[in-house]
Amino acid sequence: MTLHKLLIGVAAAAGLGGVASAQDVAVITPYLAQPGTQFYVDGFKARADELGWTVNVIDTAGDVAAVISRMEDVVTQGVDAIVINVDPAQIGAGLSAASAAGIPVVGMDAGNDPLVAANVTSNGYAMAAETSVYVANRIGGKGRVVMFTFDPFPPVQIRGVIADAVFGNFPDIEVIDRITPDVSDGGIADSRAQMEAILAANPDPGSISAVWAAWDQPALGALQAIEAAGRQGEGIVITGIDANPQARDAIAAGGNFEASVAQDFQGIGSTTADTVARILKGEKPVQQVIYVPTKLITAANVNAE
Amino acid sequence: MPQLDLDRISRAFGAVQALNGVSLSLRSGEVHALMGENGAGKSTLIRLLAGLDRPDGGQITISATATHGLTPAQSKASGLRFIHQELHPVPGLSVAENMHLDLPYPKRFGLVDWAALNRAARKALDRLGLGSLDPRTPMTALGSGDQMLVRIAATLVGGDGTPPWLYVMDEPTAALTTAESERLFEVIAGLVRQGAGVLYVSHRMPEVVRLADRVTVLRDGEVVSSRPLSETSASQIIEEMTGRQLDAIFPPRPTDKTVGPMVLRIAGLAAGRLKSATFDLRAGEVLGVAGIAGSGRGALLQAILGAIPRQVGQATLGGQPLRSSPVGTWAQGIAYVPRERRSEGLMLRRSIAETIVLPHLGALARAALFLNPTRQRQVAKERGAEVLLKARSVQQACQDLSGGNQQKVMFARALAGTPRVLLLDEPTRGVDIGARVEIYRLIGQLREAGLAVILASSDLPELIGLSTRIAVMRDGHLAEILPADGLTEARLLSRFYHRHQEESLSA
Amino acid sequence: MITVMRRFGGLAGMLAIVLFFAISLPDTFMTLRNWLNISQQVSMLTVVAAAMTVVMVMGDFDLSVGSMASLAGIVAAVLFMQGWSIPLALLAALGVGLLGGLFNGIMVSLVGILPFVATLATLTVFSGLAYVISDGRTIFGRDIPAAFGDFARGGPNLPGGIALPNLTLVAALTVLVIWIVLEQTSYGRRLYAIGGNREAARLAGIPVMLLRLSAFCFTGVGAAIGGLMYASRVASANPTQGDGLMLTAIAAVFLGMTLTRDGQPRVLATLVGVFVLGVLDNGLTQMRVDSYVREVMVGAIILAAVGLSAIGRNGLAGQLRR
Repeated sequence: MTLHKLLIGVAAAAGLGGVASAQDVAVITPYLAQPGTQFYVDGFKARADELGWTVNVIDTAGDVAAVISRMEDVVTQGVDAIVINVDPAQIGAGLSAASAAGIPVVGMDAGNDPLVAANVTSNGYAMAAETSVYVANRIGGKGRVVMFTFDPFPPVQIRGVIADAVFGNFPDIEVIDRITPDVSDGGIADSRAQMEAILAANPDPGSISAVWAAWDQPALGALQAIEAAGRQGEGIVITGIDANPQARDAIAAGGNFEASVAQDFQGIGSTTADTVARILKGEKPVQQVIYVPTKLITAANVNAE
Repeated sequence: MPQLDLDRISRAFGAVQALNGVSLSLRSGEVHALMGENGAGKSTLIRLLAGLDRPDGGQITISATATHGLTPAQSKASGLRFIHQELHPVPGLSVAENMHLDLPYPKRFGLVDWAALNRAARKALDRLGLGSLDPRTPMTALGSGDQMLVRIAATLVGGDGTPPWLYVMDEPTAALTTAESERLFEVIAGLVRQGAGVLYVSHRMPEVVRLADRVTVLRDGEVVSSRPLSETSASQIIEEMTGRQLDAIFPPRPTDKTVGPMVLRIAGLAAGRLKSATFDLRAGEVLGVAGIAGSGRGALLQAILGAIPRQVGQATLGGQPLRSSPVGTWAQGIAYVPRERRSEGLMLRRSIAETIVLPHLGALARAALFLNPTRQRQVAKERGAEVLLKARSVQQACQDLSGGNQQKVMFARALAGTPRVLLLDEPTRGVDIGARVEIYRLIGQLREAGLAVILASSDLPELIGLSTRIAVMRDGHLAEILPADGLTEARLLSRFYHRHQEESLSA
Repeated sequence: MITVMRRFGGLAGMLAIVLFFAISLPDTFMTLRNWLNISQQVSMLTVVAAAMTVVMVMGDFDLSVGSMASLAGIVAAVLFMQGWSIPLALLAALGVGLLGGLFNGIMVSLVGILPFVATLATLTVFSGLAYVISDGRTIFGRDIPAAFGDFARGGPNLPGGIALPNLTLVAALTVLVIWIVLEQTSYGRRLYAIGGNREAARLAGIPVMLLRLSAFCFTGVGAAIGGLMYASRVASANPTQGDGLMLTAIAAVFLGMTLTRDGQPRVLATLVGVFVLGVLDNGLTQMRVDSYVREVMVGAIILAAVGLSAIGRNGLAGQLRR
C-alpha cells in the first residue's frame, strides 16, 4: 500500500499528467552524463518544444543492454519515434523491435545501420580538411609538419586520412613524424612528452613549421612542450579539432595554438528533431547520413561564440 | 563492617507466593551463593534488593538502618551494585568512557581531560588485576567476558556516597565461555580480598562449589537451607533444590552384566591440548571425564570426533581406524553434543527439524543427494519425542526454546543417526534442574540400549551419579581411571590435583 | 493477522506495484509480449542473482560477479576473433568463470580471507584482466559471429506467434537448476546450515571448507553465463559491460530475503526480487518517468521493502529500542 502511494506521489511530482500530444518521442542514450551528449539533448529538446512534442529522455548510465531494454519498453508504450545515441551495431535487438512495430529510429551522432532511418552527425572528413588546409595556407604550402593521429578509433582515423591527402598534395610540405599518442590519461601528457622528443631532435629554429592534431588534447600537449622549450617565438602553427574549452582558451590567448573546429552539438540535436519531424510526415531521407555544418575557430571568432 | 539482613521478607503476586518469610544475611568479605530452580524466588529477591520492587512484609536492614523497602537510589547509596548477565556496552565509546557512563567526565579548561579519564579507569582496572586491558580501546573490541569485567571495574570508579561493598551477580557466566568465566572468578576473588561481599545467583553447581563461602537454597519462595559451604555438598544442594533424593535423580548404575563388547579403543592419543589418553570403552558403559577447567576434558572429546587434528596415537571404532575429520567420524557412528550449544551446536534461527537432521542429510536423502522432506520431518518428530522435547512443532526456530529444550534438540540430533558412541561435553550446562533430570534419565536409557557414552563434565554429582568409570584428566594427560561406584565428591576432587594436593586444598 | 501482514507484507507491496502499472498502463503493461520483454530484459540479472544466492545462503558475498561477467564476454569475443567456433569459445568462457569462482573459493575457504575483501580484490583482478585481454576496446561488428548475436534475438515461437526469448529460457533453466541444488539436495541444505552456524556445521560433520569452495564455483560459472548472455544481447563485448550487474544482483537477493519467512536468501524469492526491479524499470519507462527520478525511486522502494520487513520482524517499538 505504502509503495503504491509512493509511486503515485513521485509520478505526480515528475509531471506525468499525461497530456495527450501530437508526437511522443523517446531519446535513449547510455552517455547522458557526458557534456557533448548533454548539448545534443538540449538542442533536441529545444526544437521538440517548439514542435509541441512530448520528449522522454532515458539515460542508462553506460549500460548498453539496458538501452535495448528501454527501447523495447518504449516500443510497447507505443512512442512515435526513437532517437538513439549509441552504436547501432550493439543494439540490434532493440532496432528489430522498433522496426517490427514500424517505429522509426533516428541516430543522433550514432552510426549507420540499415534499421536506422537517418544518422545526424558532423562531417569528420570536412573538419579534418578545414584544419589541414588552414595549416598548409598558414605555412605557405612549404615546411615540416608533425601529425598527431589515432587510427584505432574510426571517427578519428578518417581525420588522419584527410590530413594525409591534403599535406600530400603540397610537394613542399614534409610530414616529419606521424605520432599515435597514448590516450589512457586523455592524451595531453604523452603528447607533450612525444613533442619534447621531436623538439630535441630538431633543435634549429624553423626546423618545425606546424603541428596538426586530429583532436585537441595532442595539440594542447604540443603547445605545452613548445612553450616549455622556449620556442614559442619560432612561429610553429598548431591546430586541433573539437574546440573544447581548453583549446578555445589557448586560441584566445593568441599563442601558437591557432585553430580548431567546433562541432555544432546543439545543431545536431535540433537537426535530429527536424529529421524526425520529416520522417514522421512521411518523407524518406535521401541519404542516411545527414551532416550538420561545423565551424573553424580562430582568434578572430573565438570570443564571438 | 557493612552488613545487609533480610528479615522474614514476603512478596506475593496474586495467588503466587514468590517469597515467603525469607531471612538472609549478607556480609562483606564473603561470597554468598543463592541457588534454586527456576521459579524458586531468586529473581524476586534480586529485584527487592535493587529497589525495583517492594516487599509485602518483613524488614531490610542495611548497616543497622532498618527499612521496609528500598528505592533504586537508596539501594545504590547503600553500596549495592548489580551485575546482570546481559551487558549493554556503548559501542562507539572506549572502555574508559563506558566506565564513566553515569559519572561526570573529568574536565580541564572546560574540555574533557582524557588523561585523567583514562587514569581513573586504569586505577579501577588495576584494582581488579585487569592491567592488561587498555582503557582507550573501544568497548566493542572486547569479548563479552572482558566487557563484564569492565562493568564490574566501573563500580570502583570515583563517585560519592558509600563505596560499593555488595555485588549482586545474576547468572553472570550465562553468556561467557569457560575461559572468560575463569577470569571472572579471579576478579570475584580479588573483590572479596578487598573486603567486598558477593551475592552469587546461579544454578551452575561447579561454579558455586568453587566460589561460595555460604550457600542459601531457595525452593518455592522459602529458604530450605543456609549454611557454610563446608557443611554441605553439591549432592545435598541438588537434593535441597529439587526436594528429591539423589537416587531418584540419577538412573541406576549398570552392573557388569549389562556392559557389552568393546566399541572404542584409544591408545596414546594426542591432539591439541590433549597430551595423551589411553582407554577402552564398552557398549552400555558411561565413561565420565573429570578434571579442572583446561585439563583437556573437552579436547579429548574433540580429538575423538576429529574436530582437532590428531597428532599421534591410535583410535579404533569396532576394530576400524577412526577417520580424521567430523565428516568421517559422524558417518562411522560417533555422535557429539558440544559444550557451547549456542555457538557450536545450534543454528538459532533455523527450525528444530533442520538442526536435528543436519548431520544425517546424506543418509536421509534419496539417491544420497535429493532431499526427502517427509522422512526428515518424521525422523525429527520421532527423535524429539524420544528425548521429551517440548516444542510447538519441529518447525519452531531453535532460538525460541529454553536452554533445556535446546539441549534436548542437540541430543535428538546426536541420536538421529543411531550412533555407537555418544560424546557429551557438559550436557547439562545452563540447563535448569527439571530438564536436567530428564537428560539424566535419557542418558541412562541410552546406556541400557547398548550405546557407549563418554561424558565430560565439571559437575561432580553428575559424573559420579551417571558414570560407570571416571577418567581423571590432569594437564592434558588422562592420568587415571577410577570406578565411579562408591566414589565421593571429595575424593574425586582430590584426584584432580593429585601431585600438588597440599596447595590446592589450602587455597 | 499481524503475523500474516509480516509474512506477506512484502509480497503484497510487490503485487501493489504490478497492480499500479496494470491500472496506469491498461493497454500495454499486462500483455504477454510485455512480460516476455521483461523476462528477457532481466534474464542476465536473473542468472547472476540466482548464482549470487548460492553464496549468500552461506552468509558469504561475491562482489566479483559483475567483472566476471564482463571478463567472460571479453574472453568469448577475443576467441571469436581468433577464429574459435562458437561452442568452444563459450565453453572456454565458462571455464574462465569456473576458474575464477574456484580462485574466489580458495581465497575465502582455504586461505580464510573475508569474502568481502577477497572478492573485492578479485573484482579488480577480473576487471583488469578484461582490459588486458581486450586492450580496453569494445569488440563488435564483424568480430562477433552473427549466430552469437542472433541467439539473444531469437527463440522458439509460442502459439499466437510470439517468440519465447532464448535468454528467458536460459534464465529459467538456470533458476531451475539452482532451485534444485539449493532446495532439493542435501548439498543445498548443508550450505544453509553453514549460513546458520558455521562452527556448529563443522562439528556436526559438514565438510564446510569443501562446500564453501564449491559454492563459489557455482557463482563464478553463473556470472560467466550472465556475461555471455549480455554479450549476445548487445552482440559485442566491452571490458566493463557487466559491472553494473553486481550491485543490482545483491539488491535483488536482499529484496527476495524480505519475502522469506526467516529472512533467508532463497532462489525463488530472488527471482521475485529480480522481477520487481525489472517491472519497475519497464513500467516507469513506459510512464515516461525521468531516468534519474527512476533511479531514486528504485532505491527508495528497495529501502522501503527492506525497512518494512525489518520492522515487521521486530516491531517498530523493537527497532526504536535498538
